Amino acid sequence: MDTLRLYLRLISLRIRSQMQYRLSFALDVFGTAFVILTEFLALVGVFWRFGSIGGWTLGEVTFLYGLADVSFATMDMIFSGYDPGYFSEQVRRGTFDQFLLRPLALPLQVFTSEFLLRRLGRIGQGALIFGLSLYLAHIIWTPAKVVYLFIVYLSTIAFFGGLFVAGATISFWTVESVEVVNIFTYGGTAMMSYPMHIYGSWLRRFFTFIVPAALMIYYPALYFFDKPDPLGLPVFLRFLAPFAGLAVLTAAFAFWQLGVRKYTSTGT
Amino acid sequence: MYLALLRVAFQRQLAYRTANLAGLATNIFFGALRAYVIIALYNARRLETVAGYSLPMAITYTGLTQALASFLALFVWWDLIRSIRSGEVASDLSRPCDFFWYWGAQDAGRALGQLILRGLPIMILYALVYRITLPPTVWHWLALGVSMWLALLVSFGWRFLISLPAFWIQDAVGVGRLGLPLMTFLSGFLMPLAFFPAWAVTLIRLTPFPSMVTAPVEIYLGLVNGPALLGTLAMQALWVVILYGVSQLVLSAGVRKLVIQGG
Repeated sequence: MDTLRLYLRLISLRIRSQMQYRLSFALDVFGTAFVILTEFLALVGVFWRFGSIGGWTLGEVTFLYGLADVSFATMDMIFSGYDPGYFSEQVRRGTFDQFLLRPLALPLQVFTSEFLLRRLGRIGQGALIFGLSLYLAHIIWTPAKVVYLFIVYLSTIAFFGGLFVAGATISFWTVESVEVVNIFTYGGTAMMSYPMHIYGSWLRRFFTFIVPAALMIYYPALYFFDKPDPLGLPVFLRFLAPFAGLAVLTAAFAFWQLGVRKYTSTGT
Repeated sequence: MYLALLRVAFQRQLAYRTANLAGLATNIFFGALRAYVIIALYNARRLETVAGYSLPMAITYTGLTQALASFLALFVWWDLIRSIRSGEVASDLSRPCDFFWYWGAQDAGRALGQLILRGLPIMILYALVYRITLPPTVWHWLALGVSMWLALLVSFGWRFLISLPAFWIQDAVGVGRLGLPLMTFLSGFLMPLAFFPAWAVTLIRLTPFPSMVTAPVEIYLGLVNGPALLGTLAMQALWVVILYGVSQLVLSAGVRKLVIQGG
């Protein structure tokens, strides 16, 4: 409980310091929201021209896109300290070493080292687009679906969070190749924004069974839309989102422990 | 003098081997992703052309945009902002050359390096994996060569311009963040501009962004011919002039601010 209170206090300090620069804060919020808007407009334009993709309508694809985006954006805000780009810089500059000297839990320090409130812009935009999809797509809602939707949201945050943590951990070995993580984070989000059956089998299988991105949004979406799986995989796959998300996050933190141990043992 | 700057920047880029390799991997992933999306969109219309784009052309488009992305620095360019924030800009300004071209020459060097390390490899990979198209005539090849460098200048001019607010705003990264998504969408990078409704395209063509990506892409794909081809190049050149002019105005205001601050 103490840890939680400490976490909340440190986060509120971060937020307050960011609010100091009102103009740049406003610009940042607006700017990050703008990215999503333009990408979404491109999507609308394309559907205007083509009508559907892989048999899915604009509303349905927007659902994938919006949910993936709002989950990623929320994760991006909470896990700001673990952003591979940001974290690798901390390691390179040596500021991370200071964390090791303090008598506070390491993850707590990393989590509170950065908390980008401006991500609210992207979260807001993502939520708006997701809301729009609910209007466009024809979903028959049940209480179970509503509950599961919220679970999917949290699970996807955990999933992406795991990717961030794993990406940040790579910094303990090499600071230069961290960019490759973008393929999984930004690439993953982009990929999850479309129905998985349009992708080639190698890509699909990798992102279903190895890095279970498909289990986070696409398969749950099949459940929400009451669609059959064009690939004919078992129905229970649609409900694995929380397990997959937790698994990825746990594995990532195990990797993190390994990285920290290796880093501290080399006598830096 | 500018050639020396270009050469140094070029060599520096060649030295960033791991970063560019990682970038190439990103290009490959996103290229493959977008190719899948395009193929799925065309679906039953495999033999048709949509808005002038046949399926091979559309697939080639996804590869071209990835190649151009690093060449044009469509996604990240904080160099000038960093220089202004750190104060280095003061010494840069006192050099005996035009400030705009000082940075332009370096950007050209960087672009050439990334073209060789990322642009060409991705196109070669595309040629191996997919059925891609090539520019139809010698004139198209020549025009492509010219258009690419004009596109770079337009892109540079825009990036230079949106970096200048750093003279006034503490955290100018915000303005840059606004400029970049605009560039990717309106330039025809996310989806071919031809796919959008005609009225939207007419409006978009009033901006400099199509001159960055759509111009070289359409020349490569053979979508513009004869007088239209020359028109495209002329439009690109015009934007270079406009962006240069506006940059000079804003720059002089920025320099004045710097001097007043005691720089």
